[in-house]
Amino acid sequence: MNILARTRDRLLGRGDHAITVPVFDGALKPNQHLQTAEVVIDDLVDPNDLATDDIGLLLASGSTVVRIAANGAQSEVLRATGRVTALATIEGGLAVAIDGREVRVFGGRHDGFRVCDVAGKPLHCVNALAVRGDVLLLCDGSRNRAPDEWRHDLMELGRSGRVCEIDLSKGLAREIATGLGYAFGVFANDDEVWISESWRHRVRMSGEVGRKVLSELPGYPSRMAPAMGGGAWLTVFACRTQLVEFVLREPAYRKRMIATIEPDLWISPQIASDLHLQEPLQHARVKTLGMIKPWAPPRSYGLVIRLGVDGSPQYSLHSRVDGNHHGVVACAQLGDWLYVLSKGARRLLRLPIPQIEQELGR
Amino acid sequence: MTVDPADKVLELRGATKLYGGVPAIEEVNFTLRRGEVHALLGENGAGKSTLTKAMAGVIRLSAGEILVAGKQVSPSSPRDALNLGIAMVFQETSLVPTMNVAQNLFLGAERFYNRLRGVHIAAQQFLQSLNFDIDPAEVVANLGAAKKQMVEIARAVILDARVIIFDEPTATLTPEEKIYFFNLVESLKKRGVSIIFISHALEEALQISDRITILRDGRHVVTDDTSAFDRDSIIKAMIGRDLSNSFYENRKTGARPPGRRVLSVQNLRVGVAVRNNSLSVFAGQVTGVFGLVGAGRTETFKVVAGVIKRDLFHGGEILLNGKAVRYSVPAPAVSDGVAYVTEDRKAEGFFETMSIARNIQIGALAKLRSVNPFVRGGDEQRIGSQWRERLNIRAVSSDAKVVELSGGNQQKVVIAKSLAQDPDVIIFDEPTRGVDVGAIAEIHRLVNELADAGKAVVVVSSYLPEVMALSDRILVARSGKVVEEFSALEATEEGIMYAAVH
Repeated sequence: MNILARTRDRLLGRGDHAITVPVFDGALKPNQHLQTAEVVIDDLVDPNDLATDDIGLLLASGSTVVRIAANGAQSEVLRATGRVTALATIEGGLAVAIDGREVRVFGGRHDGFRVCDVAGKPLHCVNALAVRGDVLLLCDGSRNRAPDEWRHDLMELGRSGRVCEIDLSKGLAREIATGLGYAFGVFANDDEVWISESWRHRVRMSGEVGRKVLSELPGYPSRMAPAMGGGAWLTVFACRTQLVEFVLREPAYRKRMIATIEPDLWISPQIASDLHLQEPLQHARVKTLGMIKPWAPPRSYGLVIRLGVDGSPQYSLHSRVDGNHHGVVACAQLGDWLYVLSKGARRLLRLPIPQIEQELGR
Repeated sequence: MTVDPADKVLELRGATKLYGGVPAIEEVNFTLRRGEVHALLGENGAGKSTLTKAMAGVIRLSAGEILVAGKQVSPSSPRDALNLGIAMVFQETSLVPTMNVAQNLFLGAERFYNRLRGVHIAAQQFLQSLNFDIDPAEVVANLGAAKKQMVEIARAVILDARVIIFDEPTATLTPEEKIYFFNLVESLKKRGVSIIFISHALEEALQISDRITILRDGRHVVTDDTSAFDRDSIIKAMIGRDLSNSFYENRKTGARPPGRRVLSVQNLRVGVAVRNNSLSVFAGQVTGVFGLVGAGRTETFKVVAGVIKRDLFHGGEILLNGKAVRYSVPAPAVSDGVAYVTEDRKAEGFFETMSIARNIQIGALAKLRSVNPFVRGGDEQRIGSQWRERLNIRAVSSDAKVVELSGGNQQKVVIAKSLAQDPDVIIFDEPTRGVDVGAIAEIHRLVNELADAGKAVVVVSSYLPEVMALSDRILVARSGKVVEEFSALEATEEGIMYAAVH
C-alpha cells in the first residue's frame, strides 16, 4: 500500500487503522451456558491445557499432568521438570511442552523423544500441540515472548509465531507456517491443518499464505479440540474491544504503558478481570441523557465456539462480561460432555452437549 | 336504511375511468356521509386510488357523475376540489422537498407579504395542536417518511376541508404516531369532517371506520357498516376467495440455519442516524431488521448499498464476503452483488414514465454494463416478459408505463429491477408498504424462495407481524444501532417491541 493511502487510512480511521470490532451475532449470539456450566474442579493451580486418551481426561496443571475422574478426583500421571504449557496424547504416550522451550514424549512408541529447536531456531513459546498419526504439530506462539508474556506480544504487535510439524518416526521437523500473529492452537482436520492466529482474530490453514477457515472473530482464538460428528471446538480466551483496538494503533501510548505500568493493569485483554482496585476504567462513567451511569469496557470474556467441518460457526457457549468463567484456553469432548478449562476462573467446567444443542435449537 | 340527502356530503354515481380503453373503475357508486369515517378497501389495482383521485380532481372521470352536497360538480384540478372542500393526503408525499415544513403547510395560501417568523410560529402552534412533533423550520427533504406523512396530514387539516381523503396514512407511522393519528381522525369527525380512509391494514379499518366499501377489479363489491365485517369477510370480498390462516398469523416453526457470513457491518456511523451499528448477515437466511422510524435501519443498509456515505472520520467498516468495501455510489455495490429495494419506490425505485420492460432492463444493465456495451431492444422485451411473468406483474403488456400501475405492481417492478442483477445480498426496505394482501403474499413467497436459493436476504420492516412471519433471525434496532437479536423460534411481539422501545 502506498504511503498516501496509509496516511489517508490513518487520518480517517480506515483499513488497517479502523478500530472496528465484529459483533457477537448469528452463531455467536451471547448466552449464559458457559457461565452456568457445572464446576468439576475449583481452585486449580496454574491450569494450562486439556487432553483426552482412551481412559479419560488429562489436565496440565503447573508442572504436573493429572487424570481427572468423572467426580473430579485428580491423580497424578506425570511430573515434569518445568511448567507444562501444552499437552497432547500420542499412541499410548503423552507429548508435553515444558516451559514452552522443549517438547518431550513420555511413554508409548516414541518414549524419550525430545525436540528443542526446529529449522535451526529454538522453541520459545510452545503453547499448543496436536497429533496426526505419527506427526506431532506444535504451535510456537512467539519467538520473542514466553507463554506468560502473551500480553507483551500483543502490545508489541508480535508476528513471529510459527507452526511446526515433526515426523516422529523419521525424526524430521519443519515449519509449516511462519510469521503468525501469535499461533495459539492447531488442529488436524483430515488432510488439513487449522491454525488459530490470535492477534489476527482468525483460524487459517497451514502454508505460507494459508486459506482462511474463519476470520473476523470478535475475540482472540486459542486452542482447538476435535468434536464428535466432525469439526472442532474453538476456545476464545478474551474478546476484542474498540478500546484495545485503539491502543494497538497508538505506538507511543503502548510503549509508555509497557514501560511504566504493570501488565495486569494495562489496557489490554485479560483472562480474568475485576480482581484489582486499580484496573483501568473499572470505575469509569458516561453521561447519557443527563444521567451519569457507570461504565467500563469489558476486559475478559469466556467463549467456546462449535465449528462445523468446513470451519463455519454452528453455535457458541458464553460467559459474558458480568460472569467469571473467563479466559477459556482449552476444551475437550468426552462422549456427550464438553470439558472446558477456564484459566481466568481457575476452574474445570463441564457441559452436557445434547442438552445444550437442544436448548439452542440445533 | 335511507339516508337524509342533506347528510350526503359526497356521492359518485356510475363512476367509470378508462385508461387506453381499459377500465380502471367501472360503474362505481359511492356515498360519503357527513362526519363519518369511510374505509375504502381493495387489492392493489382494485381502483381505490383512481376513485379517490377523481374525487380530488387529480383525474377526470370518463363517465358518471360526482355530487357534492347534492350538486353535480366536475372538479378539473386539486384546486377545484379544494374549493369544493375536498382534500387528499396522498400515499406518496406531494410536498415540495426543498421548502421547509411551515412553507409547505401554507403553500398556496400565502399572503402578498409573508413574514417567515410569523409563518413558523403559526405552523408550530398548529402542529402542536395536532400533537405532531415536527420542527416547522426543518427542510422537508431532511424529514423521514413518517414525518413527511404527518406534514401532509397537517396540510389537509389546515386547509379546513370538509372531506379529507387519506391514502395509506398510517403505513409510515410508528405505533405511537398512529395513536395520535387516530385521535386526530376522531377530533376531525367531531368537527363534522368526513373522512375517506384507504388502508391495507385491515385491523385499522375495522378499528376506526364507521362504514366500509370494498372494490375489486375496478368494481364495487359491497358497502356496509363496519360492524357487519370481520377480517376474513373483508379479505374474501377483496380477493374473491378465502385467505384463511393469514400469512401473518402463521408462526415460523423452524428457521433456516445460517450459511457463511456474507455481510459484516462493524461500528458504522452515519451522522446522528446510525451510531456505532454492528450486525452480520448470513447466506441462506432471511434476516429481519425491525425498529421504529428513526432507528437507523434504512441508513445502515443504504451505506451498504452505496446510496449514502458513512462518516468520513472513523465511520466504521463494512465487509462483504470478508473484504472491506466502501462504495461512494451504488454501481460498484451492484457489481459486487448487493441489491437494495428502496422503501420509497416513487422517488428512488423506478422511472415512472418508462415501460416496465425498460425499467427492468435498466436494472439488469446496472450490473452487466461492462460486459456488453451494446443495448438491444430484443433483450429488453425478453427480460421484461420474463420478470413480468415470474413476479406476476399485472399490466396490459411489458410496454405499459410504470406510472399506470397500482402500488403493488410498481413494487414488483422495483423488485424485478433488483433481482435482474442476480444479487447475492438482497436488501428489502419495507417491501410491502402500500401493497395489497394478494401482492404481499407473492412478495413474501419470493423472499422465501430467494433465501432457499442460498441468497442472503435482509428484510427491513416497521411492521412486526411481517418481520416475524418472514425472518429466520430478527435484529432489533433502536437509536441508530442493533440492540437485540432474536431467533425466529424465540421471538415474541412483546420481546421485540420492548427491545425496540426501551
